[in-house]
Amino acid sequence: MIEIERLSKRYGDTVVVDEVSMVIEEGTVAVVVGTSGAGKSTLLRMINRLIEPSSGRVLIDGQDTMAIPEDELRHRIGYVIQGYGLFPHRTVADNIATVPRLLGWDRKRIAARVEELLDLYQLDPAEFAGKYPHELSGGQQQRVGVARALAARPALLLMDEPFGALDPVIRAKAQDDLLAIQRRLGTTIVLVTHDMEEAFHLGDRIAVMDQARLLQYASPAELLMRPAEEFVERLVGTAERPFRLLSLARVQDALEPGTAEGEALSASTNLREALSRLIWSGREVLPVADAGGTVIGRVSVDRILRFGRSSA
Amino acid sequence: MSRGSVLLRASALLLLVAFVTAPDLFAPVFEPLTVNGAPAIYNQGSLLTLTLAHLATVFGATLASTVVAVLLGIFVTRPMGMEFLPLSRSLVNIGQTFPPIAVLAIAVPLVGFGAKPTLIALFLYGLLPIFENTLTGLTQVSPLTLEAAKGMGMSPSRRLLEVELPLAMPIILAGIRLSVVINLGTATIGSTVAAKGLGEVIIAGLQSNNTAFILQGGAVVALLAILIHDLFMTAERTMARKLGGVAATS
Amino acid sequence: MNPTTFPGRALGEASSRPGLSVDRLGGVIAVLIGIAVFAAPFVTYRANRIVAGEARMLVEAVSPILAGAVLAAALLAAVAAVVVQQPWLRLGAAALGLMVVTPSVGAAAWFLTPPGNTFARISPALGFWLLALALGLLVADSLTRLRLGPWARLAALAVAAAFVALLVLSGAWNGLSILKEYATRADGFWREARQHLFLALGSLLAACLVGLPLGILCHRAPRLRAAILPVLSIVQTIPSIALFGILMVPLGYLAATVPLAAEVGIRGIGGAPALVALFLYSLLPIVGNTVVGLAQVPAAVVEAARGMGLSDRQRLTQIELPLALPVILTGIRIVLVQNLGLATVAALIGGGGFGTFVFQGIGQTAIDLVLLGAIPTVALAFTAAVILDAAIDLANGHD
Repeated sequence: MIEIERLSKRYGDTVVVDEVSMVIEEGTVAVVVGTSGAGKSTLLRMINRLIEPSSGRVLIDGQDTMAIPEDELRHRIGYVIQGYGLFPHRTVADNIATVPRLLGWDRKRIAARVEELLDLYQLDPAEFAGKYPHELSGGQQQRVGVARALAARPALLLMDEPFGALDPVIRAKAQDDLLAIQRRLGTTIVLVTHDMEEAFHLGDRIAVMDQARLLQYASPAELLMRPAEEFVERLVGTAERPFRLLSLARVQDALEPGTAEGEALSASTNLREALSRLIWSGREVLPVADAGGTVIGRVSVDRILRFGRSSA
Repeated sequence: MSRGSVLLRASALLLLVAFVTAPDLFAPVFEPLTVNGAPAIYNQGSLLTLTLAHLATVFGATLASTVVAVLLGIFVTRPMGMEFLPLSRSLVNIGQTFPPIAVLAIAVPLVGFGAKPTLIALFLYGLLPIFENTLTGLTQVSPLTLEAAKGMGMSPSRRLLEVELPLAMPIILAGIRLSVVINLGTATIGSTVAAKGLGEVIIAGLQSNNTAFILQGGAVVALLAILIHDLFMTAERTMARKLGGVAATS
Repeated sequence: MNPTTFPGRALGEASSRPGLSVDRLGGVIAVLIGIAVFAAPFVTYRANRIVAGEARMLVEAVSPILAGAVLAAALLAAVAAVVVQQPWLRLGAAALGLMVVTPSVGAAAWFLTPPGNTFARISPALGFWLLALALGLLVADSLTRLRLGPWARLAALAVAAAFVALLVLSGAWNGLSILKEYATRADGFWREARQHLFLALGSLLAACLVGLPLGILCHRAPRLRAAILPVLSIVQTIPSIALFGILMVPLGYLAATVPLAAEVGIRGIGGAPALVALFLYSLLPIVGNTVVGLAQVPAAVVEAARGMGLSDRQRLTQIELPLALPVILTGIRIVLVQNLGLATVAALIGGGGFGTFVFQGIGQTAIDLVLLGAIPTVALAFTAAVILDAAIDLANGHD
């Protein structure tokens, strides 16, 4: 658990982060959104003390980060930045091995860990271990960047616009991969982005920042339904709101008994996508199948619309 | 590297070695340049000894310059030396307007004739390109890379040794190359102040009006310079290619 | 700059903490000043121009009043270096120091020379040079911090040059050994100065006339570029004395066989081979920088010009060359500074120039004579560098 308590950063008279407090539960994803210059990167970098706070404190599992030597703290926290900052003079394997090496792991253990991570990120070790960063595509660099951050099994991962340099198609895939891996490893993630779509897609909780202040820190649904300030409302987008809500719910939540004609939807599809498939296929109802492909019920346009109205 | 260019370099090296070890074999080539039966091949000392002395002077001086310049470059790019960075940039700029010959000439009255003033001049003049390139190399390391290194908990000294210096290396090497090539030429002038080196051959030629000598001395220095220049360029390119194809500039 | 995304921010914060940081650079300068004034000889006294000298400390070298003034000015500069942050004040203190220290070394010469003695030589010693170095560093540091624009830098250069001219012309330095060397060969000095400038500037002009068109051609024809640039860079590796020497052969042959060549002054030895050699050395930076300058003109700009119907020639003269100008000027700067230095070597083959004094001085172990050749050379190269740097800035559109 990460507890941020009244954390502030001032440069002379300029306040960059103003008394921010928030708690990030173990194993969840907290996304910090805001316009550029809102102070979100500074907030993130105060967690691993790349920037020393002017006041306030950060506790990781109850321990004050100021009590841990800087470098040791950073060995325990994964860190991914936009552009990744891969070491251009080191191979993919050496890049990933950075922190384990700093920690003095033995060579066998490092090699095994590197291989494991490359496998996890669907990068064939035989092909990629010896490559240099400039020989990789943007998407591959991003995966190596995250793999490097995860190498020493940190319990906390800080990510600053980690998908910012990717084109939209690859970005969606990278986001899904991150979620999948996060679920598998149970890593706590604090992610900074200016992309609201990304925040809704990834965040268990979303923190909205503007002009150094934390305006609201809540679940995506709450943010949509009870925006604390006009700025939050504007940021989440009034017109888009029903669709955003639908994309937060799964077909499972609007399941009706029975079956229907047409290609089955997966139960984990979100309602927004289900509605879109219904409209496009020209049908009123479509069957729903579970992960194994067995039809477990059906979903209708009418039911999705009612779901949307009821939550508004 | 293509096979042709390897062959070219190998034959240049071979020619150089053959000439300094057995110069008399080449006498027929130089004969047409002499008048009144003057010797066609330098005969006041061994070309090999002079070449080695020349190289020793240049490499000794450049080695010292490298150590000092790189250390200084590291110092002014650390937080503790940052105050000195702007001034040191201006000093390098001013220093490079000093002609190497002037440095040599001023050193003579201070330390006397012989190898010493030459070594001092070469050392001082060699500092500048290496220091300048060390600064450039260290300051152009991507802030993203440094941020990542810091974020992963690398200590300042590890960041310097494992990230900054390796990334700056091609540019530092380019500085060393510039110094060596300039120094190879300047060292010939050292012979006017009685330093041992290939300048002796050229000066002997100038004094006795023997073009063959001038050409021999000049050609050996030029060949040395070209081969060494080439060696450095190859190393720089190999490194730069690994770092992502940022081609080293000549 | 956005403070949330700029990693270097923490550094700026540390160095701007008021009151806590002592200026360490200033500290070094103050220590230098201290050594110069208290622990090193101010001038060297020699009974004649070639015997070994005796050191004289500041207090022995000038009248007590002047010694006090020098001491006060030096210490003021030292204090300013350590305590004062404001660059203009630091510059003022350093300039004041130089204005007191430089004439006083001339005064030391009058003070120490026995009346009527024309053999005694007084020259600045370690203490003076250190003091001048320390004050010069302070000036350079203040100027760097002030980030002066090109015109202001030129003005600073003009002020410095005027001050030196005043010192020389007023006779304040006439007692110094270097000016005694000058006095005995004033005619020769200006002849060699003209020759030096002729060699350096003449070869530069020739290199521009040939190199610019060649650079443009190389830009248009990559194959020509691939053939020419390596040859030019090989020329650069030939040591200067060797190239001077080698060129004596064809030029000597030319003079011997073509009477017209001999009539216009082409000889195997002397200025001609030096001029040709400097010209050859100049070609690489000029051609190379022209090519680089033209290559870095954004393709979109050239494309737009083409789209608006500019002819090839118009594109070159109105778009490409003006945009490449800063890089070409950088090449000219390199060449001019390099040639002003290399022209010194011309003296070895009878080409004249300031090198004449340098090599004579080396031959006679007369340091003053060496300095008489070396100091103007350095001053010329420095002046050329400042002027061309300003021109480059102006061409880049900063003023």
